[in-house]
Amino acid sequence: MAVTNLTEPIFQSETRNSTLILSKFTPENITKKNIGLAAEFSLPENDPVRIFGLPKKMLLEFRILSKPCSVVRGVTVETKELLDNAKERSSLDMRVVLTGRSGCGKSYLLLQAVEYCKQNGWIVLYIPRATNLVNSTTPYVYDLRTQIYSQPTFAYQTLQRMLTVNRPTLDALELQTALVLEKQTVPAGTTLSALINIALKDKSKASCMVILETLLKELSEQTKYPVLVAVDEFQALYNKTMYRDPHFNTIAPYHLSMPRLLMEYASGRRSFAKGAFLGAVNDSDPMYPMPLELRDALQIEYMRPMSPYDKRSAGIAEYTKGLRALSVPEKLTLAEATSLFEIWMKDRALATVNPDTTFLSKYVESGGNPRDFVWKGILSTIEA
Amino acid sequence: MNVLRTSVHLLPATRLPRHAIQRAYATTARPFVPPAQLRDLDNPGPRRGDRQGGDREPRQRVKPPPESPSFYTSRPVYYDQIIQLEKAIGQVRGSLKTLQLLPLPAFARASLPPLHPVWKTQDEMTLDFETKMTTTRYRKVTKLLSQLNEYNRIARTAGCTELADGIDSIVSMFESGKKDAFLARGKRKVVILDEFGRSYTVGRRKTSSARVWMIPVRQEKKESPKAVAVEEELNMEELFGVERAAEPETVKMEQVKVTTSTILVNNLPLNEYFSVPADRERATRPFKVAGVLGAYNVFAIVRGGGTTGQSDALLQGIAKGLVAHEPELTTMFRRAKLTRRDPRMVERKKTGLAKARKRYTWVKR
Repeated sequence: MAVTNLTEPIFQSETRNSTLILSKFTPENITKKNIGLAAEFSLPENDPVRIFGLPKKMLLEFRILSKPCSVVRGVTVETKELLDNAKERSSLDMRVVLTGRSGCGKSYLLLQAVEYCKQNGWIVLYIPRATNLVNSTTPYVYDLRTQIYSQPTFAYQTLQRMLTVNRPTLDALELQTALVLEKQTVPAGTTLSALINIALKDKSKASCMVILETLLKELSEQTKYPVLVAVDEFQALYNKTMYRDPHFNTIAPYHLSMPRLLMEYASGRRSFAKGAFLGAVNDSDPMYPMPLELRDALQIEYMRPMSPYDKRSAGIAEYTKGLRALSVPEKLTLAEATSLFEIWMKDRALATVNPDTTFLSKYVESGGNPRDFVWKGILSTIEA
Repeated sequence: MNVLRTSVHLLPATRLPRHAIQRAYATTARPFVPPAQLRDLDNPGPRRGDRQGGDREPRQRVKPPPESPSFYTSRPVYYDQIIQLEKAIGQVRGSLKTLQLLPLPAFARASLPPLHPVWKTQDEMTLDFETKMTTTRYRKVTKLLSQLNEYNRIARTAGCTELADGIDSIVSMFESGKKDAFLARGKRKVVILDEFGRSYTVGRRKTSSARVWMIPVRQEKKESPKAVAVEEELNMEELFGVERAAEPETVKMEQVKVTTSTILVNNLPLNEYFSVPADRERATRPFKVAGVLGAYNVFAIVRGGGTTGQSDALLQGIAKGLVAHEPELTTMFRRAKLTRRDPRMVERKKTGLAKARKRYTWVKR
């Protein structure tokens, strides 16, 4: 029987109203009183989540849930306060990397920061999977002018997404100096959205990288709107890439245009007049583990005894200067865990006779770790 | 012996044959007296170093009488003890008869509470009695002691504490030091909490073992100030004899402070040590059955075997620890088979078989 023939109401799961009724994730809702509040992400058409995408595990979770949502945690309020302070200051002062144990909620916190900034009128550049910049999935070509390998396709996609997400603000900003390209000269006074459209019209994508760099330069000089650059899987930028040069040598990440761009903003070589840089590390992929240089810079404990004779790349270490670590707590508090449990309960993930016992037992078993609590606790349990 | 020989000589010669009268090895006609016998102990001669001579007073020596009549026997301590025990039995029997506790009817004797004695071993008694305790002697002693033990049972049940204490003082001399251990054999060792209130238990499964320390989570008690104020008000009202108007009862929702258990296995949190959810659920099962999920913190060191074996060992260790903290759970856990050590072990491989049970492929020819 074809799917279209299933007309009975029991099969119409997508149109059925969700039992999950939650408050909205708005800047006003992020307060100390609201710690433990389950908030739903309202995703309009130009939301960063829809346009830029999501990390793999979060995408899967949002597919299972009937609505994309998260819990306001204590660390969310802390990050909000940090961002509020950074609104009027240069991004040199606010280059923060979210660190913590595996599954403690770094990617979720980064997403909450991105949503908060977007709703507060910031210009947002969100890179949910930085491994895609270094794992040789996007084309690369050697650029004689800059003497590094540029990634035109990724630059093109980034420009496209930035335009979609930040169109109103980009319409309001203008180019300060004229830009000379190969085929044309873009005069001063052009809106930044028009500038991006020039790049998008170019089929060869040759000028994408130049235009992206110019765009970011303009954004870093303007003081009307603060800019947030959020990068998930941040540690991948500091590892060896999968790219090879014509002599089959590994290309260092700072010799590729996109990683280099991000690393320069991270290390403070370039900065926004108003804005912040947020990174989140990820230890799900053993191909891109946490490198030694980042561990040194962020003062994260070593997995095994380290000595000064262990190999450290000086080039990469240069790009880790000035990074600050924000440690995400490894345990959920009871209030936060209760809220998370209730989200899944309301979404009919559990058929339990005694929800209190189930909740407390899952909390104890997972030790408060959010990912284990949801995936190995709530979703994998075989007990009533 | 020599006396016998000389008497042979003194018999009439006609009776004995000639070779018997005059034997080649016969020495003298006189009996042999050892020189020590000839010494006069009461009047010893002048001492070798003594030149002065003269009259000396004969030494007065009065032999002290021996302490006990069995001094001259070969086993004085043994016989003394036997005599003492028999005397004691006699006395006790007399006392019990006076108290009309003897002879005891059969139904009363059957209803006496048990009092299992554990006497010293033969070797231990050998040291005590300073003589080799053969089986016969040991049985004799233990028979007397058992008799005393029976009287002790009767006296204690009847409430004659003085008499019973007297018997105890005698009997305790012959009781083995390993009495407690012997009587407790086969029973589960009682777990005692240490000075911080921690229990230490061990759980095992296959080749894994888990050493588990459990401590109750500290509960913070807060006294609400409102309750105190209300009480004071009431007292004032009562003092002045003013009648209070009936107030509607308000149901106050008490804020329940929820505590959580932290389980550390080999110094790692439970979710880090056991990645499989089933193993984690096994560790919390005793808490769920008992209904004390957030009440205890657990620290365990597990060793040996694989993940499942270790998690089962941890389960047993936690269950035993819970029973130590709350003895009322003993029956419930025994019925839920949580404190039971699963006896299943890996079966050995047998000769002629590929594995413990697997046979080689049967070939017709």
